[in-house]
Amino acid sequence: MHISEGFLSPPLLTAGWAMAGVGLAWGLKKMEPDKIVRVAIASSAFFLASLVNVRIPPGSAHLSLIAPMGLLLGRSAFPAVFTALLLQAVLFQFGGLMVLGVNSVSMGAPALCVYLLFGRAVRSANAKTAAAAAFAAGVTGVLLGIAIVSAWLVLWDRNMLLSAETLFAAHLPVAVVEGIITLCTVSFLRKSFPDVLDGLNVERA
Amino acid sequence: MRHNITISQHPQNAAGGFAPCTPLFCVLLLIITLGCGTAFAHGVGYRQSDKKAVPLEFYYSTGEMMAYEEARVFSPLDEKNAYLSGRTDEFGRYSFIPSAEGEWRVIVKDREGHMAEAEVQITGEFLSGGASGVGESTVAQSPLPQGGELFLRAAFGVSILLNISAAALLVRRSGRRPKEVPANAHK
Repeated sequence: MHISEGFLSPPLLTAGWAMAGVGLAWGLKKMEPDKIVRVAIASSAFFLASLVNVRIPPGSAHLSLIAPMGLLLGRSAFPAVFTALLLQAVLFQFGGLMVLGVNSVSMGAPALCVYLLFGRAVRSANAKTAAAAAFAAGVTGVLLGIAIVSAWLVLWDRNMLLSAETLFAAHLPVAVVEGIITLCTVSFLRKSFPDVLDGLNVERA
Repeated sequence: MRHNITISQHPQNAAGGFAPCTPLFCVLLLIITLGCGTAFAHGVGYRQSDKKAVPLEFYYSTGEMMAYEEARVFSPLDEKNAYLSGRTDEFGRYSFIPSAEGEWRVIVKDREGHMAEAEVQITGEFLSGGASGVGESTVAQSPLPQGGELFLRAAFGVSILLNISAAALLVRRSGRRPKEVPANAHK
């Protein structure tokens, strides 16, 4: 899901950095100290997840954990995504430093959307509702990410519009896998560490 | 009434536009017909080329091959317009026959925005069919480290993240700590 260096035009890169700056400022604003450790752990999981490849013939895609990031961190997901992407660019040459803003928006914005759309539902008293919301959050996170990546590519070159359907089709299995991972994560947290999900209440208040 | 019948039989005469053009139409038809006759006279054929090609393989940093992706070749004589374009094969391979000495660039891009760029130095000896002559080719994307190095880098990244959080926690807590009141302040 990473866009590589030297691919997009300078205006798009600038727009990406501007949007990433707004997301970072909003995410870091009033971040609770007890949430910093959670951000670091979630960011580490996101950083490592990109090393896990899912083989989808003829290509492959990697996990992103966008939805768990959004559901666990809320608006702090953006700084977590940014930091993890920075380390991925430096240590593994995924994406790049110039395109870091664009990639942060591509993966940070879906995490925020998932939090806003499903954050309340995953804390529902009804376990089935919460499970369904968690699965939907996982699927939505990946598809939104692909939609944003496609939008960047189409803005760069309109011919890439033809590839958007292929991109979506290739990531549908990944979306399902991420939905299952999100479902398992939320179910585990509801049983074992409900305080982690309840932390979203504190943030909204 | 009779006039109406005439219109239905020769609408172009009623319009008054086609009749004067009939000779011109015939001339055009003759030219087109002759042209087609010339085209039919062309044959096609093939022979095995004795030119040497430069075969390249393109892959992701994960080791996966870049199969069926868009490839473009840029000649050292024209770095803006592609000399050749096409797609890699099932195994991420793409080859081209260079026509000039110098540094040739081959760029392969996939639908997700990944890009690999190869730079190939072509020498005169290669063009003349010599055994050697292709310089070192470099692929811009470095492969993902494997085994111990991969583990070390991943651990290093996680360590950096946790250290950043620890530093942020320390800074926040030290900023919130109330100033210590000296013991003799109440005196």
